[in-house]
Amino acid sequence: MAVRKDAAGDPAQPVSGNSGGITATAVSRSFGQVHAVEHMDFHAPAGKVTALIGPNGAGKTTLLLLLASLLAPDSGTISVGGLDPVHHRAEVRSRIGWMPDTLGVWESLTAREILTQMARFYRLPGAGIGQRVSMMLDRVRLNDLADQPARVLSRGQQQRLSLGRALIHDPSVLLLDEPASGLDPGSRVELRTMLRQLAGAGKAVVVSSHVLSELDEIADGAVFVNQGRTVRQQTTEEAAASGRRYAVSATDSEALAAKLTELGLTFRVEDGRRPAFSLLLLNDDDAARLLRDLVLAGVGVSSFAPASGALEETYMNLEGERR
Amino acid sequence: MSQVTDSRKDWGAPVLADGYFAGIRDVLVLELKQRLRSRGWYIMLAIWFILTGLVTWLTWASWNASQAAQRAYGGLAPAEVTGPGSMIFEVVLAFVLLFALLVAPALSANAVNGDRAAGTLAILQVTLLRPGQILWGKFFAAWVAALAFLVTSTPFLIIGVALGGMTPGHVLVALLMLAVEVGIVCAVGVGISALAGRPLFSIVVTYLAVAGLVFGTLISFGLGTGLTQGTVMANQAQYREYLSSAQGPVEPEYTCSGPLREQPAMHTERVAWLLAMNPYVVVADAIPYPDRTAQMGYSSVGAIENISQGARYAMAGPDGTYPCANGEAKPRYLGQATPLWPLGLGLQLLLAGLLMWLGWRSLRTPARRLARGTRIA
Repeated sequence: MAVRKDAAGDPAQPVSGNSGGITATAVSRSFGQVHAVEHMDFHAPAGKVTALIGPNGAGKTTLLLLLASLLAPDSGTISVGGLDPVHHRAEVRSRIGWMPDTLGVWESLTAREILTQMARFYRLPGAGIGQRVSMMLDRVRLNDLADQPARVLSRGQQQRLSLGRALIHDPSVLLLDEPASGLDPGSRVELRTMLRQLAGAGKAVVVSSHVLSELDEIADGAVFVNQGRTVRQQTTEEAAASGRRYAVSATDSEALAAKLTELGLTFRVEDGRRPAFSLLLLNDDDAARLLRDLVLAGVGVSSFAPASGALEETYMNLEGERR
Repeated sequence: MSQVTDSRKDWGAPVLADGYFAGIRDVLVLELKQRLRSRGWYIMLAIWFILTGLVTWLTWASWNASQAAQRAYGGLAPAEVTGPGSMIFEVVLAFVLLFALLVAPALSANAVNGDRAAGTLAILQVTLLRPGQILWGKFFAAWVAALAFLVTSTPFLIIGVALGGMTPGHVLVALLMLAVEVGIVCAVGVGISALAGRPLFSIVVTYLAVAGLVFGTLISFGLGTGLTQGTVMANQAQYREYLSSAQGPVEPEYTCSGPLREQPAMHTERVAWLLAMNPYVVVADAIPYPDRTAQMGYSSVGAIENISQGARYAMAGPDGTYPCANGEAKPRYLGQATPLWPLGLGLQLLLAGLLMWLGWRSLRTPARRLARGTRIA
């Protein structure tokens, strides 16, 4: 068992500098023959939104279950604010809010009852529960539906209820497994704002998702996992610095191709609905310069836009490496 | 969305002793709220009430009919008329126990894995609740739901008493034992549901466990008796003339004389514990009945008493029941001095406790082992 270097000494004492976040060091977990997570390293600092990105079956949910202290790692250590979940179960639990990918709603209970029950399970002081629940219902915009049984809520509303459930005890670490799935665009924007606010309040927010363009907007950093391993750990700035793919189309495709070749740029032809070319540009300045050059050269540019998010670019590159 | 930063309160560490029961109560409240809002439960209660009423009425009607028939043709009325009370009470009791044993698995055996399938178990597990609190909360919820069925059948047991021959004490003891038996089945069901992956499987296994207790114990006792062939030292019994028994003490009916010889006998006491585990034996044996050791006739002995006596015969073995074993005359009727039900109840509690413990182990988090093919969330 690897012992974290900075957690040496009394593990009950939160280690300064790392106290708010959640860290996994070389954790492994297998189910029978399947190695769901192998020597994975993960760190989500306090005050930041960390994206957990990877294809289906990469071990994202297993890692989140390990972080939520529902599963014990076969080897490796997990530390929540410097505390080990195995030895400081209650302390760790009261700091973690977990939103599972399955909704798991008690269907016959009302939203208000569900949040009240959760507050009780977290041993919040009884006198403040009513107020706390009302505030939480307000925050996840379920005020109007607070006294309806949860089964009449739509998927998106249940998702918001699930988020409220994870937040009821004001955790310092928030683990969200696919929180945006099933949400309408409006709710997505709302979720994004909320997660940024939570991170702004000093919480460590971990979000696993497939919707990479969403994550670009909210995540400060990303951890890429694949086949049970951490493949890459980078901040969004780093991802943006490594270049971004742009899609360009013009009224006259041949003129565009000729101009791009003249500028000495490598591009590839996209097989989308409309003929378009895509090419990798290092930063926004490059993009501005290219667009100006194209327009000045008389090419009728009809669209010029980033083809993918910064994180998506990294993800697709990783996918490419895998094959 | 007004503000995100809540004034961070110090929730502190949970108070253990007090908090443990509070946690069980919270889980119980959660479970009962869900159960009370399901219509199926009320429909089952209504069906139960109607069925029990029907059985009570039928028993009463058939007793009346047989009385009328005896008056019309027999002429020889039974010496003592106890009224239909004892009979109605016994039939209703046996029926209520049967249906309680059938209903309890349905109410308990999907308690844990049903939640697992719905994805709500992990929600509980990730909170400060301890696995024991979740399990006990679910057990008590199942038990309370099953007890509602007993409460529904109480009026009919009271009718049995009101029609004569029984005391309120009988109803109380009977209800208490029924409640305990139902509780044991609920504990078995909840334990199995924590162990098994799928609700359907655990419900079937729990029904099989109940069948094992009701019929399996009988069958294994019957088969097991064949393996207990042995001998007992006994001498010759000399029965008195039937008529002369009118005078003098009723028992013993025979005298023992002659040298002790080895006689073949079944040592049923070695397998009687199997019989003792039967829920019917436990309930029947716990219900008090009048001491009949000094009584002559056995005509009006009820079914409950017969079950109890039969089990006690098996428990006593040949040393206690074989005529003239060890040269002593044996009473034909065993007193209630050495009750059998604590043994049976103890064994049942052991079984239920073992399953609950195994269930508790499977609910611990962070989980080291998972059952095959289950996802924790």
